[in-house]
Amino acid sequence: MKKALALLLALVMVLSLAACGSSEPAATEAPKADAPAAEAPAEAPAEEPAAEEGKVFRIYAWNEEFKGFFEKYYEVPEGITVEWVINPNDGGVYQDKLDEALLNQANAPADEKIDMFLAEADYILKYTDTEFTQDITALGVTDFSNTYEYTVQAASDSNGVVKGVSFQCCPAALIYRRSIAEDVLGTSEPAEVQELLNSWDKFNAVAADAAAKGYYMTASEAATFRVFSNNTSAPLVNEAGELVLDEAITTWQAQAKNFADNGYTLTADIWSDECTAQMFADGKTMCYFGPAWYFNFSMGNAQDPEKGCYGDWAICQGPQAHFWGGTWLLAATGSDNPTMLADVMDTFINDEEVCKALIENEAQFTNNQAVNAAFAEDPNYGNEFLGGQNDVAIFVELAKNIRFENKTIYDQLLTEGLQGYWREYCDGTVTEEEAMANYYKYINEKYPEIVTP
Amino acid sequence: MKRLPVRKSKGISYAKWGYIFIAPFFITYAIFVLYPQMLTIYNSFFENYRSGLKQVGPNFVGLENYVKLFTPDKNGTIDILKYAGNTVILWVGGAIPQITIALLLAIFFTSYRLKIRGQQFFKTVIYMPNLIMASAFSMLFYTLFSPVGPINALLTDWGMIDATLDFFSQKITVRGMIMLMNFLLWFGNTTILLMAGIMGIDQNMFEAAQIDGANSVQVFFRVTLPLLMPILVYTIITALIGGLQMFDVPQVLTNGGGTPNRTSMTLIMFLNNYLKTSKNYGMAGAISVIIFIITGILSLIVYRSLTKQDN
Amino acid sequence: MTHTNSSDSRKARMMLQASRAVVYAILIFLSFLCLFSFYMLIVNSTRSNADLQGGFRLAFSDQFFVNLYNAWTDASIDIPRGMLNSFIIAASSAVLSTYFSALTAYGIHAYNFKLKKAAFTFIMAIMVIPNQVYAVGFYQMCVRLGWTNSYIPLILPGIAAPVVFFYMKQYMESVLPMEIVDAARVDGSGEFYTFNRIILPMLKPALAVQLIFSFVQSWNNYFLPALLLDKAEMKTVPIMIAQLRSADYSKFDMGKVYMFILLAILPVMIVYFCLSKFIIKGVTAGSVKG
Repeated sequence: MKKALALLLALVMVLSLAACGSSEPAATEAPKADAPAAEAPAEAPAEEPAAEEGKVFRIYAWNEEFKGFFEKYYEVPEGITVEWVINPNDGGVYQDKLDEALLNQANAPADEKIDMFLAEADYILKYTDTEFTQDITALGVTDFSNTYEYTVQAASDSNGVVKGVSFQCCPAALIYRRSIAEDVLGTSEPAEVQELLNSWDKFNAVAADAAAKGYYMTASEAATFRVFSNNTSAPLVNEAGELVLDEAITTWQAQAKNFADNGYTLTADIWSDECTAQMFADGKTMCYFGPAWYFNFSMGNAQDPEKGCYGDWAICQGPQAHFWGGTWLLAATGSDNPTMLADVMDTFINDEEVCKALIENEAQFTNNQAVNAAFAEDPNYGNEFLGGQNDVAIFVELAKNIRFENKTIYDQLLTEGLQGYWREYCDGTVTEEEAMANYYKYINEKYPEIVTP
Repeated sequence: MKRLPVRKSKGISYAKWGYIFIAPFFITYAIFVLYPQMLTIYNSFFENYRSGLKQVGPNFVGLENYVKLFTPDKNGTIDILKYAGNTVILWVGGAIPQITIALLLAIFFTSYRLKIRGQQFFKTVIYMPNLIMASAFSMLFYTLFSPVGPINALLTDWGMIDATLDFFSQKITVRGMIMLMNFLLWFGNTTILLMAGIMGIDQNMFEAAQIDGANSVQVFFRVTLPLLMPILVYTIITALIGGLQMFDVPQVLTNGGGTPNRTSMTLIMFLNNYLKTSKNYGMAGAISVIIFIITGILSLIVYRSLTKQDN
Repeated sequence: MTHTNSSDSRKARMMLQASRAVVYAILIFLSFLCLFSFYMLIVNSTRSNADLQGGFRLAFSDQFFVNLYNAWTDASIDIPRGMLNSFIIAASSAVLSTYFSALTAYGIHAYNFKLKKAAFTFIMAIMVIPNQVYAVGFYQMCVRLGWTNSYIPLILPGIAAPVVFFYMKQYMESVLPMEIVDAARVDGSGEFYTFNRIILPMLKPALAVQLIFSFVQSWNNYFLPALLLDKAEMKTVPIMIAQLRSADYSKFDMGKVYMFILLAILPVMIVYFCLSKFIIKGVTAGSVKG
């Protein structure tokens, strides 16, 4: 009678043993990725780290991008383990989890305190102007002679106290397929392409030509969103807390609908597989928009050895100057590793070797003007992905136009929502009124304090 | 005292054991459900949310949250009713085929006339989807049906479509996928439960019916169905619970958007929207109370109508 | 007479053959639907990212162990840890809810007391309430008690599981004659002893079924754990899986993503394959007795 129960119990135990057993090799294997950090704690008691600082350096991030650079180029001091807490940005999950942890920071044990967290341009304001971030000049990061001014301004609170640094500078360009440009415009030379696409009127007209030849101008109706939203004359939410869609935004809305209706673009999220599938060699899309990080982070398909079209790309400024994204490293108040914190920040803006490696190996555009300028002037430097074009030289020019203004703490989700709900209108599934009503509902759910029309 | 003759004193002397045995359930319920429930209702009368890193409230606002919930938007839609409607449609669309097909299969499997071979195989296979986590299942469906996914590739190869079919921008396809997934997730589970119920019926009943000359349809409606009622009630009630709780499948499939035009947004997804980012416990509380009331009414209807037949 | 009789029986046999064919067709179609997604999952978990980007294929590829290694050792989605966490929670809460539901059901089934009817009606009434409905208060309570990032609020509530209770109660009604209890009492067996040693073994098939159901349900539970667990080392499998759908992971190695999903459902599959025969037989054998 008991046999069956015994069998069940036995199985449960076997399984639990299997689970325990199998998790052990993982525990020893996982740290291999960051070997120096992982082996250190065992030896730590033997040789104490210089200062009386924490043994765990905890970083909050929303993806693996910076983590990759950090592990490659930053040498973690002996005796310190780096712990990454990674939550996806999408839908505000990262911010939610980060907020919880920051609000709990004071009560957390020393080794569980956040030391550093990453933030994007779309919501950095939410953190800089609070007591949850600390003055990094007090920690010893004082040399901003080579960084771009907007990156410092973005990381400063309303009194001008600097709370963090960005490891990249993000002027964005129009990224186009050379072969398609050749077919549509008759040229693939960046200077000539720029001449033909330097205004929205020209851009829209070329979209029609491209469609006539069986191409898409963009792979997403939201591809141009950042260009418009970065050139607004007022923030999305005004002083009175009301949502106001700037003329630049409404221009984008009209363009998106127009492009979708005429088949100039696919209707898809900019991050979707549908959009990035167009980057394969057999894709039919001519233009993408993005900064240097876009090449490696989002254009993996274009770089695919078998199906990609490595080298068939080039960049130019496009219809309007703009910037997109950028990852700032912010210093969390209450960090128990101030020395390492300052050292990390200093390394990624001032260590020339690291900055050089970021450009050469990672196709980044760094936040060090001197290093960037050296590459821009180097006749031997060329980005093979862009057919040997010196992208740094173009980005150096574009970087001069960046202004960090008209930002709110709500931008990430307001942008995400607008693109999503407007797409339904572009698709023709809802009327314009319904699309906007849905967008307002979404805002009311996310931010009760914003007054919607 | 237990040495007393048991026969007559059965009713009263053991009563305290009844209380002792059911105590853990009720204590746990009081702590983990009842108290949070009261707290939720209490919350619904307050303005209480997070603005950035700042906390707003709690400020007592009376019934304002409820008023907000039932104020129609410019297009005349009252959101919460729309989402309640969505939930019911999605549930019914999945539950009706789920229960009918499960009943049918249970009869096939238990039929002595049909003698289905490979029963073990079929039973194992149809139960399998129930083991998959709903979120993983929807992830899989999403990749299969995505505009660049295999289903589209297949349909194009077979020449059935010439342009990419966007399954996620049509009300009918999105809802259809959700219903199909819910059906697939649950019909095997229901089949096995119903089978157990049918096999539990005394064989003599069937034999008696057959001797009386009843055909298989008559046997089903006169013998099987009535005797199966208790387990069928259980099945329907659990399906109803699942339906009202519907969250993971549409949430992951539409990435939280309930697309298109929020026609696949369920009540729990709506509630979830207020729990995230804004941590709007006032509104979330009010929605919870409404869901609670809807649940109560539905369960009453189902329970009444089913037990009536039973009696 | 005999003539018509044999043609009748032939007709009946043909009918039977025909209906059998229809039944098999239905079964095969449904099995195909169920197996297709599994098959795709397994095939895709053997393919490399580049291969997957190329589209649909039915044949297996050779990247299985590469994907397995990558998924198993991935630093930000610690799937072995997640599986262990999920297992601890699911196993404990399954055991608790099965045992205490049986106890509660027995309490109501076997004893007569004043509040018996009221208790039963109450449990029936609360059965349909979705647990998300009190999530707000539940979360606040957990914050106040310091129970966020704790397994307590995910395990203990298993004791009060109305659905499991209901199943147990239904089961007891069909298989549990009160004479056994009376006989045990005559033998001087204490009430708890009777329950643990005599009643529980009789409920074996029902216990097994509910143990599996509760385990699966808890293993797959997403809503509450996602609300309560922040720490990477405490996350459960469904939280990890849900992360995969977001944009930041879409540039992920897709082969690894499919492997994650496969790993997420694997333990439950193993338990099920080991016990499926036993469950189905157990359930049916148990019911036939009544």
